[in-house]
Amino acid sequence: MRMIMGLDLPDSGVALIDGKPYGELNWPLREVGALLDAKAFHPARAARNHLRWLALANDIPIGRVDEVLDLVGLNSVAARRVGKFSLGMTQRLGIAAALLGDPGVLLFDEPVNGLDPEGIRWVRHFLRDLAKQGRTVFVSSHLISEMSLTADRLIVIGRGRLITETSVADFVARSGRGAVKLVTPDAGAFGEALTVAGASVESASDSSLTVEGLTSPQIGDLAARDGLRIHELTPITASLEDAFMELTQDEVEFRPSTMPDTDPVGAKE
Amino acid sequence: MTTEVSVSAPRSHYRFKHVARSEVAKILTLRSTAITCGLTVVACLLVTGLVAHGALHHDPSYYAFGFDATQISLTGMIPVALAGGVFGALLITSEYSSGTIRPMFAAAPRRPLLFFAKLAVAAGIMVIACELLSFASFFLGQVILSGGGAPSATLASPGAARAVVMTGLFVSLLALMSFGFGLIFRSTAAAIAAFAGVIFVLPLVMHGISEAGVRYLPTNILIDSIMATVNQPGQGPRFAPLVPGVGFSLVALYAAIVLAVGATLFVRRDA
Repeated sequence: MRMIMGLDLPDSGVALIDGKPYGELNWPLREVGALLDAKAFHPARAARNHLRWLALANDIPIGRVDEVLDLVGLNSVAARRVGKFSLGMTQRLGIAAALLGDPGVLLFDEPVNGLDPEGIRWVRHFLRDLAKQGRTVFVSSHLISEMSLTADRLIVIGRGRLITETSVADFVARSGRGAVKLVTPDAGAFGEALTVAGASVESASDSSLTVEGLTSPQIGDLAARDGLRIHELTPITASLEDAFMELTQDEVEFRPSTMPDTDPVGAKE
Repeated sequence: MTTEVSVSAPRSHYRFKHVARSEVAKILTLRSTAITCGLTVVACLLVTGLVAHGALHHDPSYYAFGFDATQISLTGMIPVALAGGVFGALLITSEYSSGTIRPMFAAAPRRPLLFFAKLAVAAGIMVIACELLSFASFFLGQVILSGGGAPSATLASPGAARAVVMTGLFVSLLALMSFGFGLIFRSTAAAIAAFAGVIFVLPLVMHGISEAGVRYLPTNILIDSIMATVNQPGQGPRFAPLVPGVGFSLVALYAAIVLAVGATLFVRRDA
């Protein structure tokens, strides 16, 4: 993200926003809003004054300052020094700063880091709302469960390399086992019927089965045909976290074999 | 007449004036700016007052030869040089230490433009403040000297106006040099140490290295060339102070070198 913003220079390659490097944007804050680190304020400056100097730099009307303060709920503390702010308040101020130029592209680095549950919920809804307004919201996070609630599309990067780029649903489905949890008082008969139908069945307890190889509708149809009772039928999707772990594990596993020169035994030969 | 009409409106983009306004707003919205200014005014006038007072009631022989009423009344600009150096360094190092530099780069990613806007604002503020103080210091000194019956100067006295104006500019130049150190080191402590080293330590050390080299140091140029209006007795041509214009140009060159190195690093380095 720092490289997208032109803060750090990449060793190779370029990052473009709407086809342009960040440094060539006409009005950067009106085109891209970013929250890279929450503490990028002078602690002795009041919140409103922080937003004012930002607004002046890109000729954004000063009235917009109070608008974004309102939007993030900080208008009552606008005159207070930023150094006295709690983490949640600085995070909100960072989001206000990102929204100052009403940009179409937003970059948020770890936006929920260190927030309390209420703050996390607020940020989550806020990001969803911004996306609904038609903006591109680019969020980085290592809180995978949080991302599964927020994101539409995923980019997984491991050790500086792109591992995958896909939608959350695809990502989970691809890594998921496609199993169905079945709770039934007729576990015995059901198990036999399912095996006959070609599924592999595992019994988790007396009345609970894990079925692989058949979908929920197929199991339901089968139950109707044979007159078997169903108390619960739930597709088991892998969580985003499971999917992520699976994917990055591969990444770590094949790495040593692609870099033989780091292997001391290989180096001796 | 061509029927083709340009579809792209003149493409406006952020400019020097926007960034400069932003810089001014940043400086004015910190209470520490007001505190620094206030303390600097007090220190300047206090030093001038004490030194001018100390020059009163001497034997007539004291005033007969080499007495420089203008130079005495500008002594208060020495603490201003220190304050200016600290302020100049802080202008940039506080941005790095607080992290404000990153939103600044985000708002104005063209770093050469950002550098020149920062430099222009810093220079403007320094020159205005230092000139005001230089004149205030001069007038206070002359009031005390003439009130105490000692010889005094006016702006019409030979060299006096030149000395007052040039002292203000010279101290601004020193503050900008410190701003350059801030760009190079990015840390307040390191930048102020470099500035203090050049201004206060180098003159002490240089006496032991080369007496002839002393006159090329910023501090000595300030006191002996810029502030002075009367040739001091007893100096051979080898150790005579530089003439004001030469001394000023030399220090302008020092400051330019420091600023050029700082600007290069500022433009190239990761934020």
